[in-house]
Amino acid sequence: MLKEEAEGVKMEDDDEEPPMAIQIQPDVSVRKILSSSDTVSVGVSVITGYLGAGKSTLVNYILNGKHGKRIAVILNEFGEEIGVERAMINEGEEGAIVEEWVELANGCVCCTVKHSLVQALEQLVQRKDRLDHILLETTGLANPAPLASILWLDDQLESEVKLDCIVTVVDAKNLRFQLNERRDSSSFSEAFNQIAFADTIIMNKVDLISQEESDELEKEIHSINSLANVIRSVRCQVDLSNILNCQAYDSNHVSRLESLLETNKSLTTTDLHDSGIRTLCISEPQPINLDKVRLWLEEILWDKKSEMDVYRCKAVLSIQNSDQMHILQAVREIYEIVPARKWSEEENRTNKIVFIGHKLDEEVLRSGLRDCRP
Amino acid sequence: MAGESADASTIATLSCARCEKPAHLQCPKCMDLKLPREQASFCTQECFKAAWSSHKSVHVKAQLSSIATGDQNSDLISQGWLYCVKKGQARTLKLPHFDWTGPLKQYPISTKCVVPAEIEKPDWAIDGTPKVEPNSDLQHVVEIKTPEQIQRMRETCKIAREVLDAAAKVIRPGVTTDEIDRVVHEATIAAGGYPSPLNYYFFPKSCCTSVNEVICHGIPDARKLEDGDIVNVDVTVCYKGCHGDLNETYFVGNVDEASRQLVKCTYECLEKAIAIVKPGVRFREIGEVVNRHATMSGLSVVRSYCGHGIGDLFHCAPNIPHYARNKAVGVMKAGQTFTIEPMINAGTWRDRTWPDGWTAVTADGKRSAQFEHTLLVTETGVEVLTARLPSSPDVYPWLTK
Repeated sequence: MLKEEAEGVKMEDDDEEPPMAIQIQPDVSVRKILSSSDTVSVGVSVITGYLGAGKSTLVNYILNGKHGKRIAVILNEFGEEIGVERAMINEGEEGAIVEEWVELANGCVCCTVKHSLVQALEQLVQRKDRLDHILLETTGLANPAPLASILWLDDQLESEVKLDCIVTVVDAKNLRFQLNERRDSSSFSEAFNQIAFADTIIMNKVDLISQEESDELEKEIHSINSLANVIRSVRCQVDLSNILNCQAYDSNHVSRLESLLETNKSLTTTDLHDSGIRTLCISEPQPINLDKVRLWLEEILWDKKSEMDVYRCKAVLSIQNSDQMHILQAVREIYEIVPARKWSEEENRTNKIVFIGHKLDEEVLRSGLRDCRP
Repeated sequence: MAGESADASTIATLSCARCEKPAHLQCPKCMDLKLPREQASFCTQECFKAAWSSHKSVHVKAQLSSIATGDQNSDLISQGWLYCVKKGQARTLKLPHFDWTGPLKQYPISTKCVVPAEIEKPDWAIDGTPKVEPNSDLQHVVEIKTPEQIQRMRETCKIAREVLDAAAKVIRPGVTTDEIDRVVHEATIAAGGYPSPLNYYFFPKSCCTSVNEVICHGIPDARKLEDGDIVNVDVTVCYKGCHGDLNETYFVGNVDEASRQLVKCTYECLEKAIAIVKPGVRFREIGEVVNRHATMSGLSVVRSYCGHGIGDLFHCAPNIPHYARNKAVGVMKAGQTFTIEPMINAGTWRDRTWPDGWTAVTADGKRSAQFEHTLLVTETGVEVLTARLPSSPDVYPWLTK
């Protein structure tokens, strides 16, 4: 067999004339790689909330809406472990819902930077012709923070997916009861975590309560998390721009953060809820030293200084010796400080930091920030 | 000058295989066969035509070699060797379909190695699925090891070093990676240890062998090492319930200058990273050091795989990326043990995974090198637990002085 095949090979090339040589270009595979790095990554919105609050209603509303977007919804039961073996993908396309069970290969978990959930989502994006957004609907997940940590990837990874926002759906009729419920004296109901970590909160079923009750409830929600965008709804019929493409974790997308921090209204909540979870805003007019800020934040986020438990942190920073406005984002221990854009001439350069958490000590935080002066 | 831009400059410096003038054309047959660009480039169609009668022998040689390999593989298949797929959970008779990024492809692998009953085994040895490890608190908190644990780590790491050295000694052209695996397996068992990779999430062999464009997690198979190859052997030993992990990239026969530079630079990346380890240093900083050195040499850093905590668990907190601007959490403290294992590429940093579900290769088919040590943070600095021993073979010219 070998001899004949070998002779066949020799015969092929016995032409006197060579073929036309081809212009050298970057390898096609490299070109594909390079172009893939130019494509925009697909946003992932995490939808959380109690059973019955209206998550499924929201999802159906999104899938049925005639917005021309291809959206995949992944329903997942997250237990103790955030792992995805199989997920149901609903693709809303011009109103029709196509259900598809997708087997997501268990990613190699050893020494990989990307969690298997991320790898599964990336596979999904690669498989589909065009996907505009992914909704991750969670059930049984008390605390969205670990999920946020997994999905908030380093920009350097140039992943096909990125965390867009965390949306919590709350049941206006039952929220007060859920907030007051305690399993034992040392733990809070899941409602607090779901509110504290949210970027957008949909207060659903407002038709079941009065206007005054709605206003009270919104105040209460803001007392826990002043940064979240609270939207009232009936049957989760909301403007989709509040849930899709929020870019809440994009280091380039600062305008929403800026406008939040510009408001004269104080973001600090003074009416302390029983839980002690609240929002605190502190400011400092002078430019501060970046290294000192990092050390100070790490003491708070990593070492739990003064027993404070910070859930989220966002800030606009004026850094010494830099003409760039820096922004800070933190979800539990994971944080980043990145330059965002140049301060404009007319702007009033200042530092404004918002903390959402438990047992926040205003004095300790204020003096810590002062110590970051050069 | 890293990653993709290096490709552009490489094209600019390609010279005609016949007259050495700058080349802008390439042989289409060589492209088809995925042969190295250096011998396939020509300045004009005329030069290509003139070189044709001698150039075409390159195609014949490659095709004959490919047929020979095909025949060898058929023989092995008939002896029970099979191709690995589905992360090691299944085998097939035929080579899986894939757009191979470089000259390398999957080869059949041999049947499973046996571990004697008296060797203490981790929980995945039985059914391929770790249970203790994924559910442990040590995935979130970095352990500070007790003096007793540290002593056990020293023992395990010394054994792992000796096993790797044994593997290094058999590397030469003509040896298969399967034979290297056998050496690792036997040496580990002889020392009373269990080869941690074996059956870890169904990984089919006792060590990882990563040749040329393979970045990491290469599965030992029937392919013979060739003169000019570079090969990384990654060994982890589990001894008395404690893991020790290290790897080195070796030269097979005579290796070209670019590969020698790649391996040396990678060695230096690890060296420089280890040099900054001491209490108080942020884990994030490792990526900055590695990235700086690699980039300065025109090379890129793999981003998908990272260093990891190690001890009673094979992989645990912390995660230590090797690229810059990462958000790794935490600072080093005395008593922590972890690995640093930079993977450095000649071309793009991006990787792809073979149909076997494990082997990571460079997306552009260019070569990749890696080095790894298990480290202990001490009160004043670092102790390299898997350090070279006086008996370790002399394989790096820059160390022989």
